[in-house]
Amino acid sequence: MTTGQLLHRLHYFVLDAWDEWRHSPGVNLLAVVTLAATLFLAGLVLLVIANLERQLELQRDNVQLQVYLRDDAEGDVRSALEVEIGAMTGVARVDYVDKDEAVLRYREWARQTVELLDELDTNPLPASLEITLEPGPDAERNGDAVAQSLAGHDAVEEVRFDRDWLHKLEALLDLARIGGSGLALMVFAAVIIVMASVLRLAVYARRDEIGIMLLVGATPSFVRGPFLIAALGQGIVASGLALLMVEAARRGALAYAGSSSVALLDLILSSALPANLSGLLVLIGLLVSLIGAFFAVRTSLL
Amino acid sequence: MIRFYGVSKKYVGDVTALHDVNLEIARGEFVFITGPSGAGKTTLLRLMLRQELPSHGQIIVNGRNVGALPTTKVPDLRRQIGVVFQDFKLIPRKTALQNVAYVLNVAGMSRNEQRRRAYNALRSVGLNHRLAALPPVLSGGEQQRVAIARAVVNEPTLLLADEPTGNLDPDLAVEIMRLFREINARGTTVVVATHDRDLIQRMQRRTVVLKRGTVVDTEDDS
Repeated sequence: MTTGQLLHRLHYFVLDAWDEWRHSPGVNLLAVVTLAATLFLAGLVLLVIANLERQLELQRDNVQLQVYLRDDAEGDVRSALEVEIGAMTGVARVDYVDKDEAVLRYREWARQTVELLDELDTNPLPASLEITLEPGPDAERNGDAVAQSLAGHDAVEEVRFDRDWLHKLEALLDLARIGGSGLALMVFAAVIIVMASVLRLAVYARRDEIGIMLLVGATPSFVRGPFLIAALGQGIVASGLALLMVEAARRGALAYAGSSSVALLDLILSSALPANLSGLLVLIGLLVSLIGAFFAVRTSLL
Repeated sequence: MIRFYGVSKKYVGDVTALHDVNLEIARGEFVFITGPSGAGKTTLLRLMLRQELPSHGQIIVNGRNVGALPTTKVPDLRRQIGVVFQDFKLIPRKTALQNVAYVLNVAGMSRNEQRRRAYNALRSVGLNHRLAALPPVLSGGEQQRVAIARAVVNEPTLLLADEPTGNLDPDLAVEIMRLFREINARGTTVVVATHDRDLIQRMQRRTVVLKRGTVVDTEDDS
């Protein structure tokens, strides 16, 4: 087949697929809605995973220690401690957070329980030094060393360098990735079956027409072509819809988070679905609809 | 062109449609297949088109053993055969022009050439004013003529017609037969299944008479 013939055939497939859309809008809409709903759910999972990964990355690059000071560690004592810490290996910056700033931060962080703080006569929150370490593979080891050397210091109440939560979160994210992939495979297998059934309806509705086409010399692949192109169209429309719904849901959830202080939503929905994952979602949509259509035409008449 | 060697066709329930049919139709011949309803006329045509497989015997069409033809080769066989079905078999969502052009489309012809040839074929059956009409809005006779235009548009080597004048008024039936004669004169072998004895007598062509699935007579009136 020459390139011209191939293009001519493709052109016919597209026109016939469009004709099929116009003549059977119900079946096509059903296929699009089924696929879009599944892709929407998959998109939400991808969005959460992508945001958690981003947060983890930020945390890995932003290795910090909190050194809580005793209430009497003021003036020269504090300055000396800052200089001492600044000279330690791997320390990039030392910032002082006084008691008032600590209260402000707490109010910002725990909007719903801030009344507890108002009921107290004195500020119970300690001043602290926030130590930012230089990012890199040694950051965690340097952080341990800094924490150990400051643990017994006279001016220090407590040193917090808790990286366990980060490791646990990493493990959890790995589990989510594996579990999510397994679940996604099962869901998409189910959707392929559903799509194949829906598309089989379309094929069945046109069984007489298909019979005629074969009788006048059309090859099965020539008859299948428009169905596959129509399925590709369904995949594109469904993935586009799913992407729009994911973004709308993200913005809606963030707006809700802004008004009701749900910090977790900020964490898991702060960034839109990245381009590579959006592309992956579109690719999945196209593959699922194509495989569904292939099985539909294969197992029904052709 | 067409040879039937001891062909029988049985359907489920041991219903015999054809029994030990031996028949030869030469290239360029115009043949009527006639007989009462249920004689096996339509089955004979369906076997030639590989719509059915014979239960016994062999059918050779254009040098090919139709029963043994691989499935992948069936479209090639059908592209060489023009068919006018008894129930027209037009694609309802395609216009008259698109129905006729479809045959050329599957053969990979360019769009312009498809339209030109399909238009000419429809004009030859007097339907050039109904190009954009969908089959459901066409009368029975008009649908029949679209089916005929589709059957002849790619100038097939063999034309099969199952009761092609069944839905037409006598004048139009004569006109359609004139068209078939013209096609036949250009070298196409024409096989028409009909029970219209008047038509057969008017045309004066070889006639194969079937009765209960068996060839009972072959009259050569040409």
